[in-house]
Amino acid sequence: MNPELQFDITNFLHHEAYLLDHRRYKEWLDLLADDLVYRMPARITTEGKHNEPNIMNEMTFFEETKKSLITRVKRLDTPSAWAEYSGPRQRHFISNIYIESSPKSGEYQVRSYFLYQRCRGSDLDIEQLHGERVDVLRKENGKWKIASRTIYPDQTVLRLINLSMFL
Amino acid sequence: MSKNIINGKTLQMLREKIESGLLPQWVLSDPDMYELELEKIFGRTWQFLAHESELPEPGCFVTRWIVNDPVLVTKTKSGEIKAFLNSCTHRGTHLCAADYGKQKSFTCPYHGWTFNLEGKLIGVALGDKVYGEEMKKEEWDLRPIPKIGVYQGMIFGNLDPDAMPLEDYLGNMKWYFDILLARSDGGMEVKGVPQRWVVQANWKVTSENFEADPYHVQMTHRSAKELGIAPKDPFFPGYGHQVVLENGHGINVITADATGRSPFPFQGMPESMWPMFERNLTSEQLELMRNAIVFVGGVFPNLGFISFSAPPLEGETNIYNYLNFRVWRPLGPDKVEVWSWFTIDKAAPEEYKEKSYLSYLGTFGPSGILEQDDAEIWARIAQASGGLMARDKELSYNNVLNYLMGLDRVEPDETFPGPGVAYPICFLDAVSRNMHKYWLELLIKDHSIAEGVYR
Ligand code: FES
Ligand SMILES: [Fe+2]
Repeated sequence: MNPELQFDITNFLHHEAYLLDHRRYKEWLDLLADDLVYRMPARITTEGKHNEPNIMNEMTFFEETKKSLITRVKRLDTPSAWAEYSGPRQRHFISNIYIESSPKSGEYQVRSYFLYQRCRGSDLDIEQLHGERVDVLRKENGKWKIASRTIYPDQTVLRLINLSMFL
Repeated sequence: MSKNIINGKTLQMLREKIESGLLPQWVLSDPDMYELELEKIFGRTWQFLAHESELPEPGCFVTRWIVNDPVLVTKTKSGEIKAFLNSCTHRGTHLCAADYGKQKSFTCPYHGWTFNLEGKLIGVALGDKVYGEEMKKEEWDLRPIPKIGVYQGMIFGNLDPDAMPLEDYLGNMKWYFDILLARSDGGMEVKGVPQRWVVQANWKVTSENFEADPYHVQMTHRSAKELGIAPKDPFFPGYGHQVVLENGHGINVITADATGRSPFPFQGMPESMWPMFERNLTSEQLELMRNAIVFVGGVFPNLGFISFSAPPLEGETNIYNYLNFRVWRPLGPDKVEVWSWFTIDKAAPEEYKEKSYLSYLGTFGPSGILEQDDAEIWARIAQASGGLMARDKELSYNNVLNYLMGLDRVEPDETFPGPGVAYPICFLDAVSRNMHKYWLELLIKDHSIAEGVYR
């Protein structure tokens, strides 16, 4: 593996996490390719072998395009998006970044782990979600863009009041 | 005696308050009330378990909960629906831990007893070698949920062997369910699995939000108006009829404006489906379906539903209809596990189904922009209801909540074509008051208030 590429992509994902955590959503949208596919299938508990993926692709928590994510970001700019009242403090911890495939038409498949934590208002509880992301990244005019992202949560029953965040 | 025990006097006071349109706030957070509800409400009412489309073939099963009772729902070889306590009869092990699947039998991981889809004990590990006359296999089948009922594909269970039949319990809700569930050939189908997440809320608050409270929309969901997705009219969704039904049920048949005519007939369902609706519904049901823009309601105590039409968040202006069911499974006085099913007409065009699903994800479910704000509000009620002032059963702090809207003022509309007591406005607390009345009736059933200490 090309260490320069590994560094480049790692840096990109860390920068993305920074933009999300600091609610710089418009800049975040700029990182998304126009043909973006962004989804989060449900995790299920199945009978059977431990190494089966137990993912339900038919039911998802997100099924977004760049346009729908723009609408979601726009909503946060309204004065009455109560779910995001006062802007929950959030951290995306991104690790285990691994470039899975060599370029086909300049696209790389990148796997990473995420731990998302947030505090809402003055709540004592910390909400969290963790899992794995599989991204397809590509360079457009010398800049990395996310062409697709699939988010695999580890939780079957989400211990989060909502999914108002981006992962 | 602690002044905080629930006794006959407490219930008498509740009755007086409820009759005058008030609800003491302590009932939203009190642990004793919660325990009482588990037994008197959830131990006796019909609980939604699954939709038939989740069990398409013999051998299919899903696992569910009636509050804290794990339930295994199966489709037997002959195609019958059965439900059992999902607990091995040997030592009580949680038998099937999967959410759903298809298999012929269930083998317990503790000692290996095996049960078939009918709940019969069909295998005892080392049976002949370790058991003699002390063991009669036929006495150790899975324990069935005492009552099972199915209406228009909706499978319910009841832990009370003396419960009234499901159809009687649903009563006039059946007429409205027929519009939502039986308008299309083949009925409705569930997509995938229900979404599940946990919200800090009292189950009565979440139930009421769907069954009885269009009034919250103008403020809670203001961001949808600001985005241009919902009508700007501040009176939306007050237009239409709020219908009080028996056994604590209720529905809001919401129209776009005071004319009662819909700008998008049949909630925006494709025109190709209209003749099918005409075939499957009575003329009264058809008229309602043509003109309503939202149906939102609930089956007491904790099944909510909404038939909603929305554009996907992509900026498309076409709207797509879907039917969302949810169970508010109580996990404590201030905690609810939400189960949310996306359902769509089996007979709808595939492309339409896909768009409807996107509209659902954009509006409801934990990532939906409407749902996100609902949950925030429910949690705020829980946060504000746990202290001494809110929880005082003697009401010394005037800790009562306001359910006065329309009380003794708004009269039923006799011309409404559907059954039940229909009021000509949806900004109304009639269904809420009806829920509270039935709730209290169940709490005091088989109990003489004069006895003093309640339990
Ligand atoms: S507990 Fe199930 S076989 Fe013993
Ligand atoms: Fe709402």
